[in-house]
Amino acid sequence: MSHPDRIWTIHGQDTLPRLFRHVVKERGDAVAMREKHLGIWRAITWREYGERARHVGLGLVALGLQPRDVVSVISDNCPEWLYTDLGTMSVGGVTNGIYTTDSPRQVEYILNDSGTRFFFAENEEQLDKILEVRARCPQLVKIFVYDMEGLHDFHDEQVMPFVVLLELGARYAREHPGALDPLVEIARPHDLAILVYTSGTTGPPKGAMLSHQNIIFQLGYSDFIAEPRPGDQQLSFLPLSHVAERTFTVFFPLRTGATVNFAESIDTVPENIREVGPAVFFAVPRIWEKFYSGVALRMREATPIGKLAYRWAIGIGTQMAERRIAGRTPSLFLRLLYRVADFFVLDNVKRSLGLHRTRGAATGAAPIAPELIKWYMALGIDMREVYGQTENCGLATAMPPGRIKLGTVGVRRPDTEVALSPAGEILLKGPHVFLGYYKNPDRTAETVVDGWLRTGDVGEIDGDGFVRVTDRMKDIIITAGGKNVTPSEIENQLKFSPYITDAVVIGDQRKFLSCLIMLDPDTVAQFAQERNVPFTNFASLCRAREIQDLIWSEIERVNKQVARVEGIKRFHLIEQILTPEDEELTPTMKLKRSYVNRKYKDVIDGMYAGA
Amino acid sequence: MAEPLLAVTNLETFYGPVMAIRGVSFEVPRGSIVTILGANGAGKTTILKTVSGVMDPQKGTVSFNGREIQGRDPDRVARLGLSHVPEGREVFPFLTVRENLAMGAYTRSDADGVARDMEMVYEYFPVLKSRAEQRAGSLSGGEQQMLSISRALMARPAMMLLDEPSLGLSPRLVKEIFDIIVRINRERGVTVLLVEQNAHMALTIAQFGYVLEVGRIVMEDTCARLLEKEDIKEFYLGVKEAGVRGTRRWKRKKMWR
Repeated sequence: MSHPDRIWTIHGQDTLPRLFRHVVKERGDAVAMREKHLGIWRAITWREYGERARHVGLGLVALGLQPRDVVSVISDNCPEWLYTDLGTMSVGGVTNGIYTTDSPRQVEYILNDSGTRFFFAENEEQLDKILEVRARCPQLVKIFVYDMEGLHDFHDEQVMPFVVLLELGARYAREHPGALDPLVEIARPHDLAILVYTSGTTGPPKGAMLSHQNIIFQLGYSDFIAEPRPGDQQLSFLPLSHVAERTFTVFFPLRTGATVNFAESIDTVPENIREVGPAVFFAVPRIWEKFYSGVALRMREATPIGKLAYRWAIGIGTQMAERRIAGRTPSLFLRLLYRVADFFVLDNVKRSLGLHRTRGAATGAAPIAPELIKWYMALGIDMREVYGQTENCGLATAMPPGRIKLGTVGVRRPDTEVALSPAGEILLKGPHVFLGYYKNPDRTAETVVDGWLRTGDVGEIDGDGFVRVTDRMKDIIITAGGKNVTPSEIENQLKFSPYITDAVVIGDQRKFLSCLIMLDPDTVAQFAQERNVPFTNFASLCRAREIQDLIWSEIERVNKQVARVEGIKRFHLIEQILTPEDEELTPTMKLKRSYVNRKYKDVIDGMYAGA
Repeated sequence: MAEPLLAVTNLETFYGPVMAIRGVSFEVPRGSIVTILGANGAGKTTILKTVSGVMDPQKGTVSFNGREIQGRDPDRVARLGLSHVPEGREVFPFLTVRENLAMGAYTRSDADGVARDMEMVYEYFPVLKSRAEQRAGSLSGGEQQMLSISRALMARPAMMLLDEPSLGLSPRLVKEIFDIIVRINRERGVTVLLVEQNAHMALTIAQFGYVLEVGRIVMEDTCARLLEKEDIKEFYLGVKEAGVRGTRRWKRKKMWR
């Protein structure tokens, strides 16, 4: 169990600035990251990483940064984000990431709530957001811009190109030799390191405070996916403003030394994975679902022999996976068959996905269908589900390598505790529990009670310590008939369909269950084309009789699987292609239950009218 | 609703391995002007070529006047009353204007009618009359465009497919040509399917519009409503809010709603 006074270290270092300084010195000219420039991957060494971060930090000091000042970044993943992150922390500052899809109004709220004094914007588009609201952000001192394209004729007292900041920092370093070392020592192990605003589905976002020790402690577990090896590659593409990607891209490599490769954009992720061949891969279920539907659709178009070979190979892989899940060693014969299946088929599938070098994969941040994990295991990919939230620095439980129970999120991370409240709520305790919400003692007191973090999730823990997450506490549906229904279980099964991206089950205080469905536009359009279903735009596709029938058959399949609870009786397709800019979606592209319930109230009432 | 003159369903057309039209369905009601908007390479020209029979679709149907015509040779399609005015005013450069017009009527045997129609197109485009004996290759770009529209009219089509009639023309000429397209539609009852990059003009004269993006229709509506859509304004009409700095370079994401 945890020792409250114990200080955790990585490579003998107890804070992120110290750890960063240490690994930069150790690794020198090894490659820390790569980004694509005009189509060519360009390497950045740890030495360069260290120097640029130092210049960001000292540049900020030259402009008046004080310890504990908050620095906010709104940018897609890029090396500059990382220079800013570790540079800020190295001089005693606190970094905070903002989603690039946030509106000016949301940016304004977070800036004022966090008291941001320095702001980093990726480009012209993000700069415009801050310029629109800066008059109402009195504490803001300076705005920096990473990419000045299209802004060369723009001059403003408060705005400075990022390169100018680097020059300023370099000059400060020359004029004040030895200035950095004492600044690196400012941060104490239990001090605030970063703020992570949680995308509240109800109420305004709250800034979760994570300490150096929270992060250092979690780094101690960074090898749970796979033992690191020299030359390991990672791909960075999920938003850095999310705690999972931040940990994976910025902090994990401090321990493992893996090279981080930045995807060019979210659209090029499939190509970039193939180029990079990541050794470890973390993604949210949506990405894993997308990969799977891609393969499923390609197989539908394959030649009869191809289809047969795939079905046979996946069958062998599934048998292997099932043995593994049951904790049994597969027979020699089965293992031999698997080698053949892998050589001729499965390896090609993995290559087409870019996962052929992947030794460990993890899924988290949202629930996933167990069947999907099994499919990846059948391919031979060691896929582990993890569970956690921002407030416990990302990871609370993970599937252990030796023993797998599908449908659970694994066992507690070592040196932490998991328990259930009398109401069935999952509680967490340990060095990973955060410091509280920024300047919000009331919410903090509601969330952390006697050192136990209330997750807001309802679940179960079995005799072997495996945790099963049933649902968000506030999402549980009680139908008019008094039946308790956990919507996420049904929703996950629905999302397993290649045609359904996301679904929201409705039925609280209602006579029966219904659901709103967000289609996958690509797979559904392909389905329509194959069957000569005429459609013009997305709305007409949704209304096509054949598509309605298709989705209904998918729902019936799920209804059979969840027969012990109530089945879905009606459904409605969302007739717009939603993007992260839409209020219906969280930045990680999940439908927001409460918002969707409000926005589609008429549609929902319509489903119950006359029933 | 009456049966549309032209109905295209689930059309797929390839250039070798490249799918240019990825499942397109649309309708053109009799007597109307319908426009298809789209950027370079969206597949607009390919749609017209597939409808007129220059290209064969891999999949899908084209029905004209209640008859399926996909995959037929272009000359047979033309005889059914569907005239294609290709992009880039492909006139016969060494023939005179009059000879070019006569070529347009080669399927017809009623000499009187052909003579009358020739007078009719001279009335629409007086400048062609004054150039009647001149070689078509010596005409200006605008005159060549008028000639290729006129040549198509000489076949007395029920429907015309117009591929970027405004291409490379001065704004004044564009206006002139569009005015005449409207007159031909009203006075002669010719149904028009118009493919254009000049979205403003096209939306002004057409009743209904489709927006095509990389081989797929992303939006359809009456032109009056399309003109009001934010995405159409920004991406096709070049209207955008100036933003806080007065000069905005970045583009909004296309949402098509």
